[in-house]
Amino acid sequence: MISQNALHHAEKCRFCWMCRHLCPVQHQTGKELNTPRAKGLLLSMVHKEAQQFDKDMAQAMYECLLCDACTNDCATGYQPPLFIREARTEAVVSELAPESVMHLIDNVERTGNIYGVEKPGFGREGTDVLVYIGEAAAVKAPEMAENLLKLLEKAGVSAKVLEKEPASGVMLGDLMGYTEEVRQMAAVCAKALNETKLPVVVLDSYDAEIMTQKYPEWGFEIAAGVTTATAFTAKLLAEGKLEAKAPLGVTGACHDDDRLARTFHEFEPVRRMAKAAGYDLTEMFNHGKLAKSCGTAVAWGYMPELVTRIAGGRWTDLTRIGCDTMLVANPETWQCLSLCVPEGCRLVDLFGALL
Amino acid sequence: MQEKSMMFYMIRSELEDAVGVENVSTKEIERAVYSVDYFWLSRKWQDAGKQGPMPDIIVRPGTTEEVSKVMKIANYYKIPVTTWGGGSGSQGGALPVAGGILLDIKRMDKLIELNTEAGYVTCETGMIFATLEDLVNEKGYSVMHLPSCMTCCTVGGALAHNGIGILSTKYGKMDDMCLSLEVVLPNGDIINTLPVPKHSSGPNLIPVFVGSEGTLGIMTKAKFKIVRQPQTRIHHAFLFSDIHVGYQACREIVQAVKPSIVRLFDEAETVSIIKKIIGFEKRGSFLNLTLEGYEKIVAAELEIVMDIAKKYGAEDLGTEYGEKWFQNRITFFYPDHIMDLPQMFGTLDTVATHDNIEKIYWAMKAVVEDNFKQYGVRFISHSSHWYDWGAMNYSRFIIDNPPKDPEEALRVHNQIWNAGVRAALANGGVLNDHHGVGLKLSRLVKEQYGPALQVLQALKKELDPNGIMNPYKMGL
Repeated sequence: MISQNALHHAEKCRFCWMCRHLCPVQHQTGKELNTPRAKGLLLSMVHKEAQQFDKDMAQAMYECLLCDACTNDCATGYQPPLFIREARTEAVVSELAPESVMHLIDNVERTGNIYGVEKPGFGREGTDVLVYIGEAAAVKAPEMAENLLKLLEKAGVSAKVLEKEPASGVMLGDLMGYTEEVRQMAAVCAKALNETKLPVVVLDSYDAEIMTQKYPEWGFEIAAGVTTATAFTAKLLAEGKLEAKAPLGVTGACHDDDRLARTFHEFEPVRRMAKAAGYDLTEMFNHGKLAKSCGTAVAWGYMPELVTRIAGGRWTDLTRIGCDTMLVANPETWQCLSLCVPEGCRLVDLFGALL
Repeated sequence: MQEKSMMFYMIRSELEDAVGVENVSTKEIERAVYSVDYFWLSRKWQDAGKQGPMPDIIVRPGTTEEVSKVMKIANYYKIPVTTWGGGSGSQGGALPVAGGILLDIKRMDKLIELNTEAGYVTCETGMIFATLEDLVNEKGYSVMHLPSCMTCCTVGGALAHNGIGILSTKYGKMDDMCLSLEVVLPNGDIINTLPVPKHSSGPNLIPVFVGSEGTLGIMTKAKFKIVRQPQTRIHHAFLFSDIHVGYQACREIVQAVKPSIVRLFDEAETVSIIKKIIGFEKRGSFLNLTLEGYEKIVAAELEIVMDIAKKYGAEDLGTEYGEKWFQNRITFFYPDHIMDLPQMFGTLDTVATHDNIEKIYWAMKAVVEDNFKQYGVRFISHSSHWYDWGAMNYSRFIIDNPPKDPEEALRVHNQIWNAGVRAALANGGVLNDHHGVGLKLSRLVKEQYGPALQVLQALKKELDPNGIMNPYKMGL
């Protein structure tokens, strides 16, 4: 049902509880089912024919953000998202996935995004870099996309955006695992990006992850290279192409988004951006590599109520340290944290803050 | 309880009314998740493709009042109730062996009060212990309970078996740290222990519940003392010629000063686990010791420790290995580092006065190694929690190729436990130091207490006349 490699990880995780404290879904639901060990245990039981992979089990595999905090905490390096993602493939193939998930998959196959809407265009010509906006930013955080483009213009960077930007495949990959459909979607995207021959600056780290981690594995590397928008902006600041602003006298805390933190281990650029925007910095507990997730666009798509609670948990982390300003530079975290901004608190788009 | 009976649905409906429909589950996969805890036997059962004990209904209360409502229902219908926190106990204490209701308390995870001036924190008991420590750390304080299971156990779980952390030699066990409790009794009544733990106002109620492993009630809120993070924390390692010399030196050290960590490893563990994790290669009995607090006091304590170590001919290994051990203190418990199936293993931890603890070490080692040599058993041990009156042994048996048949494996497993525990009891020890009794040692409780057991039985009979609380555990 799942690969030998994924099963090996599941069998190692089935009797280990060590990462439980970092699981945002477990924290919000209090369900034992929502721990990496429980999901590993269930898949092991299926392998031993002690349980059946049914609709309830399929549902359980979707009560996970794939935030990867568990992997990053594991002293041995086991990866619960590996077997959870493969279990999602089984759920879809066996037609056991929840209807809410299947609805999103239909949307992605129809429009390229979970929202089921035509992706707004940001197309423009440029010669220095190609900016990849991504689905979440285009639909749910268009101001952040515009702010990034304005910022690049301000720095004298000639940025191109494809008129019809293909989906990267990350949303479908999170919903159904890395199937042939996802690979084909990724191939189309890679071809379009490579045709420009420009280095790619990616706004959403979720897109950057699949482009840097899976595309090469599938044989279509982005030839001119992929950089996260945060790292690129920080470089512009370091080169003096963007100017730092005067101190605002306001203290804020950066929320490290899941994939930037876990896949790229990229923490400093966002903080450099925040300082350049004039903010004094403080830190929430569980920041950096083990930052607590605030939810993802895909998870919001099929479990909006739970993602809103998870985002609320991150706001609680902020206010508990006496801070009211959350600093973000990722459209998905923007989308999730926007769901429940507490009274008196502010959510700041760092690209906009630097303008 | 039969799932298909009308009564089953009537009771489920009552429970849903008490805690909300979304917090009651009878799904097969959810019930299956509770059939395996950290107990070796439950793991072996699962690994063999056998189904472990499952509850009939999972109930997730969100408040003390909801716990009370659930208990009133359970008590009326005489339904077994097993409380589940993190499920990380090694004794099978949380396994729902009698079916019935599985009360998962992890929704009850709120911080109630953090008072740094008075020096305490109050929280609900479903909170993960690491979360509690994080919250207290944010203010520059600590509960100073740092067990290896900290990231996965709940506060309630730690209280239920009277757990212990690595800093216990200075800061104590759960029962030393707990100032007061809120408890829901089996009949649903909500009670509070007295506001302070030390008094002459009648018997202290805290020890009735701390360590009772869910057999007498459900602890729903707990108040703990907190202390400022130490000004300094220094680690130092030594090597003794053998465990005998190590025991003598450590006794003298803990009777002179107050280290937070004293971990003395026997020769077998020194050349296996310690070598593997921190790369220490020499033979002998390894000790890592930590002192903490105000710099001036720590400096004076270190001087005394060095004198005692020298007196016993210890090799001074400096700070490197102690720091390495501290940094890796949890690494030992991750997959591929900790023992795992197909191995058979168990921790025969016990505690005794200084004059008995070494006797127990040798007696237990002999009984395990001599009687089970046909299985290729290995015996390793360290002593990691010390008092001015005594110490504990954390002795482990390991069999790399145990019987494959789970029923035969169970038999051998229990025979080793019986032999090891009886060696401790015969030499002034107890059933267990800090993992608890649970299902694993329940059968041996009568041997330990003798006629004194009637005190506990009377408590059980009065508080839980229907015997619904965590049946078959603790010998009650």
